[in-house]
Amino acid sequence: MPNVPKGVAASASAISAPLSRRAKGEEERELVRMAQNGTEAAFEELVRRHQQRVFALVGGILRRREDVEDVVQQVFLKAFVSIKRFDLRAAFSTWLYKISVNECWDYLRKKKVRPLVYEADLSEEQVSRLDGIVTADRPPVAADDRAEARQLVDWMLEKIPEQDRELLVLKEIEGFSVQELADILGLNVNTVKVRLFRARGRLMDVYRRRMSRGSLRNASAAGEGKE
Amino acid sequence: MNEMEKEFRSTACPEFEVFLEDHLAGNLAGEDAAKVSAHIQSCAGCRSALVDAAASVRLLSAVEPAAAPDPGFARVMTARIRAEMDRLAAEKSIWQPFVFLGWRFAATATLALALLLTYNATLEYRLQPGLASAVRQAEPRDMFSDPGTTPESRDQALMMMVVESSHGTHQD
Repeated sequence: MPNVPKGVAASASAISAPLSRRAKGEEERELVRMAQNGTEAAFEELVRRHQQRVFALVGGILRRREDVEDVVQQVFLKAFVSIKRFDLRAAFSTWLYKISVNECWDYLRKKKVRPLVYEADLSEEQVSRLDGIVTADRPPVAADDRAEARQLVDWMLEKIPEQDRELLVLKEIEGFSVQELADILGLNVNTVKVRLFRARGRLMDVYRRRMSRGSLRNASAAGEGKE
Repeated sequence: MNEMEKEFRSTACPEFEVFLEDHLAGNLAGEDAAKVSAHIQSCAGCRSALVDAAASVRLLSAVEPAAAPDPGFARVMTARIRAEMDRLAAEKSIWQPFVFLGWRFAATATLALALLLTYNATLEYRLQPGLASAVRQAEPRDMFSDPGTTPESRDQALMMMVVESSHGTHQD
């Protein structure tokens, strides 16, 4: 690879300065152009700018912390290899996110694993905690509570179709916008909205069914106690 | 897909789902907002679906996002790319002589094939000129005893000529 030219260093140092969105876009295009010409530092700067979102995207789909970094590295490697073919008129972030989604699906297909599998049912104690999360005004603050909340929500997410799960996690947990999801998944914005809305319904249907099963069990236990 | 997924039916009116998602995100304003609010007041199905959707937002907000990258990730990535490019370059240099040999072989084979085809074409031309001109000059009725059967191709004409001539020889 060629040595880093002085211009790139100047460009990279300018990144920290507050820039308007348009100027940032222009600067990013310049970085991509330099990376296309083989400038290593320019690509490193692109990695620095997008690593957070790519981690969120891959983490949102795989939801296995131990696999995320490997897949993210693979994403950036693929991006580096094929950056010469990238059309500068398109958004670099969308292109990178598409590579990320494809890489995740490839990874899941090759490994033949589902993103996360919870075979066991929730205990009654866990069900009541889940109920507490749904009815609470604010999300839990303590680290332990949040870790448990993640486990309970993961159990519920496991019960809905993969596409719904991906949309909900990326939108509500990882903070992607509807427009971003539409660009990444190649869907119409309204289609994403409808799918999201239905996915929410499915998720809460899982919750409701689990709650009703618990109350049925309690009712039958109370009936047996009376007898 | 398990049993739960199969049985689920949204209670929301399909034509309002997009607006309900916008309403949930607080992205509706003006006429659309008024229209959706009025509909929610009158439609129990949409109202119930919206309550569920709001609960899903609360539920999912309890979960923290995926782990953030380490501060040195970009540098690690650059090192990995460099190592990968070096490996690819080394791999390429190992196979380079074989690739070169392969191209040379392909070029030689193409040349040999071209020569063979040219030779075949000239040979055919050299062997057949008399016969071809005879076929071109002769009228079908002169060549065959039965003028009703006109040959469809040159090969068929030649075959018929051979048959005719053998008949002639037998008659003589």
